[in-house]
Amino acid sequence: MRMIVKVKNVVKRYSEKIALDHFNMEVYEGEILGLLGPNGCGKTTAINCILSLLSFDKGEIEVFGKKMTPNSYDIKRQIGLVPQEVSVFENLTVRENIDYFCGLYVDDKNVRKRYVDEAIEFVDLKDYVKFYPKKLSGGLKRRLNIACGIVHKPKLIFMDEPTVAVDAQSRNFILEGIKRLNGESSTVVYTTHYLEEAEMLCSRIVIMDNGKDIVSGTTEELKAMITTSEKIVVSFVSIEDSVASLMKGIPHVIDIERNGEDFIIKFENGINNLSNLLSFITEHNLTYTKLYSKLPTLNDVFLELTGKELRD
Amino acid sequence: MNNIIRNCIYQGKNLFRDGSFLFWGMTYPIIMAVFFYAAFNGMMNVNIEDINIGIKENKGISNILEEIDFINVHKIDESEVSEKLESGEIDAFVDGNLNLIVKKSGINQTIIKEVVEQIKQILKLNRPVDGSEFSVSYVTGKNQEANSIVVIFYSLIAMVSTYGIYAGIATASLVQANLSNIGIRINATPLRKENFLIAGVIVSFLMNLLANAILLLFINYVLKIHLFNDIKYSAVFIILGNLFGVILGIFIGVSNKKSSNTKTLIAIAVTLLLSFFSGMMGPWIKVMLDEYIPFLNRINPVSIITNNLYRINLLGSTRSAVEGAIMLLFYCMVFLLLSYVFLRRKSYDSI
Repeated sequence: MRMIVKVKNVVKRYSEKIALDHFNMEVYEGEILGLLGPNGCGKTTAINCILSLLSFDKGEIEVFGKKMTPNSYDIKRQIGLVPQEVSVFENLTVRENIDYFCGLYVDDKNVRKRYVDEAIEFVDLKDYVKFYPKKLSGGLKRRLNIACGIVHKPKLIFMDEPTVAVDAQSRNFILEGIKRLNGESSTVVYTTHYLEEAEMLCSRIVIMDNGKDIVSGTTEELKAMITTSEKIVVSFVSIEDSVASLMKGIPHVIDIERNGEDFIIKFENGINNLSNLLSFITEHNLTYTKLYSKLPTLNDVFLELTGKELRD
Repeated sequence: MNNIIRNCIYQGKNLFRDGSFLFWGMTYPIIMAVFFYAAFNGMMNVNIEDINIGIKENKGISNILEEIDFINVHKIDESEVSEKLESGEIDAFVDGNLNLIVKKSGINQTIIKEVVEQIKQILKLNRPVDGSEFSVSYVTGKNQEANSIVVIFYSLIAMVSTYGIYAGIATASLVQANLSNIGIRINATPLRKENFLIAGVIVSFLMNLLANAILLLFINYVLKIHLFNDIKYSAVFIILGNLFGVILGIFIGVSNKKSSNTKTLIAIAVTLLLSFFSGMMGPWIKVMLDEYIPFLNRINPVSIITNNLYRINLLGSTRSAVEGAIMLLFYCMVFLLLSYVFLRRKSYDSI
């Protein structure tokens, strides 16, 4: 796959605070790249630097193989942006807003009309074309925000947390829409701090923290990078401390946490972890009330790599 | 070009549907006019019939002044000047060097000042003063209802003609990524900032001009105050005032990193201060400035508009019109150039 965005060692400072600390990122054509990290980790700053909206102190940024500058109008023509905040004209109707932004890229009136109709269809705002944004609900506003960013059918779309403060129904609608956009050959860079979204949507993920790219890869690749490959939660009717301490001897166990009645047993890469635990239970005549296995999540990846929860 | 036209259409729609523009730009000036009309209605029909000028005996200038219909010349001794001014027996005293001495400000004193200034100019040009027809230029040659209330209306018109400053700030805010969300989106598109701003200037200028036209029609047809005798010259100053306001707004909008609200406060402070100095809250400040810092009123754009509307329509004098128009154009050029310099900075330090 062709690399269409290359960010190399970018440093961005806001006075004393470092927002991007030798940040690196690559985006390949046709993928949905998730930029995952906690609030304030530098996701939006990274996007703004890539789009040359923000100046940066050090590093290089190339988009479509060319150095990105504020005057790179030919590159901007191929890019769509869905900003974090709803960014539309309050006194233009839904249709007028979409048509205005489409017109900044598409000169032909007939093509523009078709694109606007398709964008309205895409975000399902047909019944609201004559509404002003202030009359729309939060979810519908978000859809309008998306329509304005994708109406010109860009090759590369940056979406900056488009589902923040959106109800579950609208969120699912937006995520499905992003998949469809990607299916229509758009490359998507998607920032989020929602693990589930990144896991469900993105073909590749860059995890960010404190302005740094911690690690990147597919969900499976990221999970394979950490020591914990499986967690088994078990709750016993009763267990003596001496027996509990013996659980550490089960093959591949790396750590055991006790949370009330629940034992959370962490295993490193290995097979038959569950059957090994069941053998231990039988051997010691233990009775359990619940027992289930959890595969590692991106939060576990983040926790192991940064020492803190993504939701902290 | 197509881009600018499309931007004009959409920015025009956006501004025209903006409730704050409809109120502050269109309704508020009408409310102000009604307020002035109600407050000063009693003063509306004070006609200027006789202006009494004191003058030293046996001076040639007395012959000239006596020729003017509405001026009564009183030959008095310099020792009596203060007393007669105080008692109101004379409106002003002209000494041997054509210096004007007055005790208070008012329409009569202003007219005398204009007459004396013209006489001075004619003398400097070595043209025969006797042949000049001063009365044609002042009041009698016009149907203008000469009274002091209209001066306040000229000030009001001057002030609202600069109201484009707010639309200018709004336009500048819309195109800057560090000031508005929509600025972030616009800066990510291939639209050139200059095109957006040019469209913004055109739209703000035309919309404000429309607001001015509605105000003038209201004053003329509803309040029935006839303000304009020379539409062409008056239109030049109203148009320049609008252009100045919008461009000053753009300059305030692009020249600093303050929030939009702070910039609007700066604009309010600037317009109110300039209007205050031009005499909108009462002529005393203008007279005081004329006396102590005359330069300030010559460079105050609102004063330039007020004074010229006043002179053109009330006094029939276009003497300072060209200078005033050039001054306003100069301001427009300077602020436009400075705005361009600030806009050349393309990426932002923070958003």
